[in-house]
Amino acid sequence: MNYHRTLRSAVAALAVAVPLCWSGIANAQDAVNLRMTIWSANEAHLKLFNEIAAGFKKDHPNVTVTYESLPFETYTTALTTQIAGGNAPDMAWIFETAAYDFVNSGALYPLTDTLKATKGYNAEELSATAAERWTKDGKLFAYPFSTSPFAMFVNNDLIKASGAKTPAEMIAANQWTWDNAIATASTVGKTGKGGLIVRDFNYQIWQNLASVWNGWGASPWSADGKTCTMTEKPMVDALTFIHDAVFKNKAMPGPGESVDFFAGNAAMTITQISRASLLPKDKPFAWDLVPLPKGPAGNYALIGQAGVGVMQSGKNAKTAAEFVAYMTNPENSAKLSQFFPSARKSLLNAEVLKKTNPLLSQEQIDKVVISGIATGKVIPGHTGFAQIQQVVRSGLDAVWRPDANIPAALQQICGQIGPLLKR
Amino acid sequence: MKAELSPRRQVFLYGLLCVLLIPFVFPTWWMVTSSVKPISDIFAFPPQLVPESYDWTTYSKVFELQPFVKQYWNSAYVAALVTVGTMIVSSMAGYAFARIKFPFANAIFVVVLLGLLIPSEVTIVPLFQMFLKAGMVNTHWPLILVPIFGAPSVFATFVMRQFFIALPVELEEAARVDGLGRFKIFRKIALPLARPALASVAIFTFLHSWNLYLEPIVFLSSADKFTLPQALTQYTDAYGGPMWNIQLAAATLTALPVLIVFIIAQKQFVEGLAHTGLKG
Amino acid sequence: MAVVQQTARPEGRSSSSFWTIARRDSLAGFLFIAPQLIGITLFVLIPLCLVFWYSLHEWNVLANTFTYTGLANYQMLLEDTSLPSVLGATAIFSAGLVIFNLSLALLLAVLLNQKLAGITIFRTLFFSPVVVSLVAWTIVWGFLLQKNGGINGVLLVFGIEGPNWLREPVTAMISVIVVQVFKNVGLNMILFLAALQGVPNELYEAARIDGAPRFKQFRRITLPLISPTILLTSIITIVGSLQVFAQIAVLTQGGPGLTTTVLVYYLYQQAFQFHFFGYGSTLSIMLFVIVAVLTFAQWQMRKRIVFYES
Repeated sequence: MNYHRTLRSAVAALAVAVPLCWSGIANAQDAVNLRMTIWSANEAHLKLFNEIAAGFKKDHPNVTVTYESLPFETYTTALTTQIAGGNAPDMAWIFETAAYDFVNSGALYPLTDTLKATKGYNAEELSATAAERWTKDGKLFAYPFSTSPFAMFVNNDLIKASGAKTPAEMIAANQWTWDNAIATASTVGKTGKGGLIVRDFNYQIWQNLASVWNGWGASPWSADGKTCTMTEKPMVDALTFIHDAVFKNKAMPGPGESVDFFAGNAAMTITQISRASLLPKDKPFAWDLVPLPKGPAGNYALIGQAGVGVMQSGKNAKTAAEFVAYMTNPENSAKLSQFFPSARKSLLNAEVLKKTNPLLSQEQIDKVVISGIATGKVIPGHTGFAQIQQVVRSGLDAVWRPDANIPAALQQICGQIGPLLKR
Repeated sequence: MKAELSPRRQVFLYGLLCVLLIPFVFPTWWMVTSSVKPISDIFAFPPQLVPESYDWTTYSKVFELQPFVKQYWNSAYVAALVTVGTMIVSSMAGYAFARIKFPFANAIFVVVLLGLLIPSEVTIVPLFQMFLKAGMVNTHWPLILVPIFGAPSVFATFVMRQFFIALPVELEEAARVDGLGRFKIFRKIALPLARPALASVAIFTFLHSWNLYLEPIVFLSSADKFTLPQALTQYTDAYGGPMWNIQLAAATLTALPVLIVFIIAQKQFVEGLAHTGLKG
Repeated sequence: MAVVQQTARPEGRSSSSFWTIARRDSLAGFLFIAPQLIGITLFVLIPLCLVFWYSLHEWNVLANTFTYTGLANYQMLLEDTSLPSVLGATAIFSAGLVIFNLSLALLLAVLLNQKLAGITIFRTLFFSPVVVSLVAWTIVWGFLLQKNGGINGVLLVFGIEGPNWLREPVTAMISVIVVQVFKNVGLNMILFLAALQGVPNELYEAARIDGAPRFKQFRRITLPLISPTILLTSIITIVGSLQVFAQIAVLTQGGPGLTTTVLVYYLYQQAFQFHFFGYGSTLSIMLFVIVAVLTFAQWQMRKRIVFYES
């Protein structure tokens, strides 16, 4: 038992094996292996991605693309650990909340020139609002391949049983406002079922509340991201409204209460349309999909995004950028949009979207998806978002109490994140 | 303490044990039953104690969606290697610290004990950089070498040392008089007597390796190299959401063999530990 | 206790002048510990030095900047306004965990050490959470601890309105401790069970003849005799408690406020989520110092509380 020898022979074996591998592919000139980290491990997704990689290989026989699935919840963490360890992938998916970190840090390779140089790419098709978060100094640093609007799923069975008005009726009567939505949720809530749920919020992922407070024109910080605006009237009003809905009207489940809309236990839920796949098949209920209600500041929409970028530190950044250009060209975007709604204008029509969202009706697609993607704001993000998220999360805990002093709690949050925003 | 109990006391004891069991058994029960529930029933509230409808396809999907057999094998062979390796390394080191007089022994023991004190989160980044330089990222080497020789084996060394200290020294002395070398004494006399301590080291080490989560996620990147705890996270639907029923089916398959081994081996295990005289 | 046992010198062995028995022994000793020592050097000491090196830098992983900043990160430790509450939460968590874990483990071990049909099944069931997937474990407990969850449902049967477990500072801390203890108490239980079985029966018989009540027997005989195991398990548990964070991340995310943000969770956030590897490394060093001091203190204390040493 000699540890030395074991280790040495192991290293020696590797030293022999690695050059062997290399010599095997050295025949093909400049063999390039590209690795893309993704947070999906879904079979259907991987099948499509591999098809795209195979398509790229036809024109670039020396390039092999592999996909590495990291766990969804710890995705950004696992990715940064790889980067810290000096093993950055060539390409990576990026969450919209982490976008500023990646774009502003200089970690990403600018894509604009490559995209423009790609034949038939039609880069102008991508709306400026969709590209905004991924752009710095006029250059696109990651391509937003997924743009998914938030909307309201409705359980009409529950609402009708409680005797309240359904959203569809209110929309027809032009009464689809937050006050009325909460009234309906409250009526259902008093029957013992859940009222309205902002999905995945759970009193932790507070940025999802943007799907409510955007109706008040509220925003956690100024457009330039430098100043905390949580103490301003729109935010105070919006949070007071949510607070009342939770603690006075029993229209939203309180902290520590879990209710699942898709199990048929709540009247309404706000989430991304892709979650239509969660609608139960074995115990179906009459459901509807409607746009978010009108707030005091008017109509609004909210979208979530995911981007794909090329890591600057990779040896083959240029080739990787070419692959991203290929992956997101009009033809492949159409394929991707069966899972990831595209922000390309040519793909934003009911005909294309109907194919990819077979559960939705023409009208739902028009009203919710198309106008949502076209007009939606992206959920809040900031440089250093993970830390800001955490500080605000912990500060908002003071708001989620029956006797909360909301302005004071928000004052304190602003005091804490003020320095972080300026960084 | 080992006296027979009166029937009344026995009934009382059974009752007490059953009540105490609830928080221990309920989550396991939920895991197993939920693995055959349709996904919409898993988060039904209140939770269903017995599934209302069964979906056995989850178990076949476990094998369809991931190279689960390969991943099972990865976990099993890594855990087996780590267990055997740790037993060798820790029994040798433990024996030396307990029996052999050599310079700086105390100081070295304290240094080794440092390994017991360091959370793996602390050293994961430098370790990653080292293994990257050695070309061992996305191989099983980090998951094998670090536990055998690094921090996780220190606890095992500690247990072995305590055991050898408690072991009467006379036999070994007799062997020395007979002219046996250190290594022979260790292998022929001390080690066979250490079987109970080795058994407990084996179980703790195996469990540790079997449940390792952070390290595989950091070091491994291709699905056919994954170990089980990591593989569990890979059952996701078209939108990145976890397919809970399939994850739980896989989790059940992960826990089952270990439980069965424990049921079979627990008597030896407990008695083995008892005889080690595991002393601080 | 002397770390190295004195061994009797064998006599009458012929050996060359250089290879005295002492030298042979030294060589053997070093060879025996070589694998472990090299491993510790490679996989603990060198990484630890690197972590210390990082802690003297500002390291932004994404921007790929690695700037020497001297002791600035240590200065930041002093100025970090979250740190006092993080350290407080850590102390409460660890103390609560150790006390609850050890007493429950001991209670279970005593109960399971009885002569009773089917006791094997009980042992296995109490041990089973150790091998159950952590993910499944935390999901279920997250469920049970909801405001309208299973535990409050049971309490309601007795006419008690339960608290909002994971959302109130005190109950949130209790919850994360209890969930963690139930998951892992099986290991300590087994260690105690083994220790109890190592207590010679004759001692109890003698006590019984003297007419000592059961509780007195436990206090006077059992506890002293298993005190070495208590020390060992308390060291393992304290060290382990300072390394727990997955459950906290799932159950409370360190909230409400910062009440359940323990040091490892905080350093994990700083290093891996906020990308402050330099400051995260500084926290690592601090955690390491704390654990080392605690362990040293416990090791010193053993002389006073542990009944016997071989």
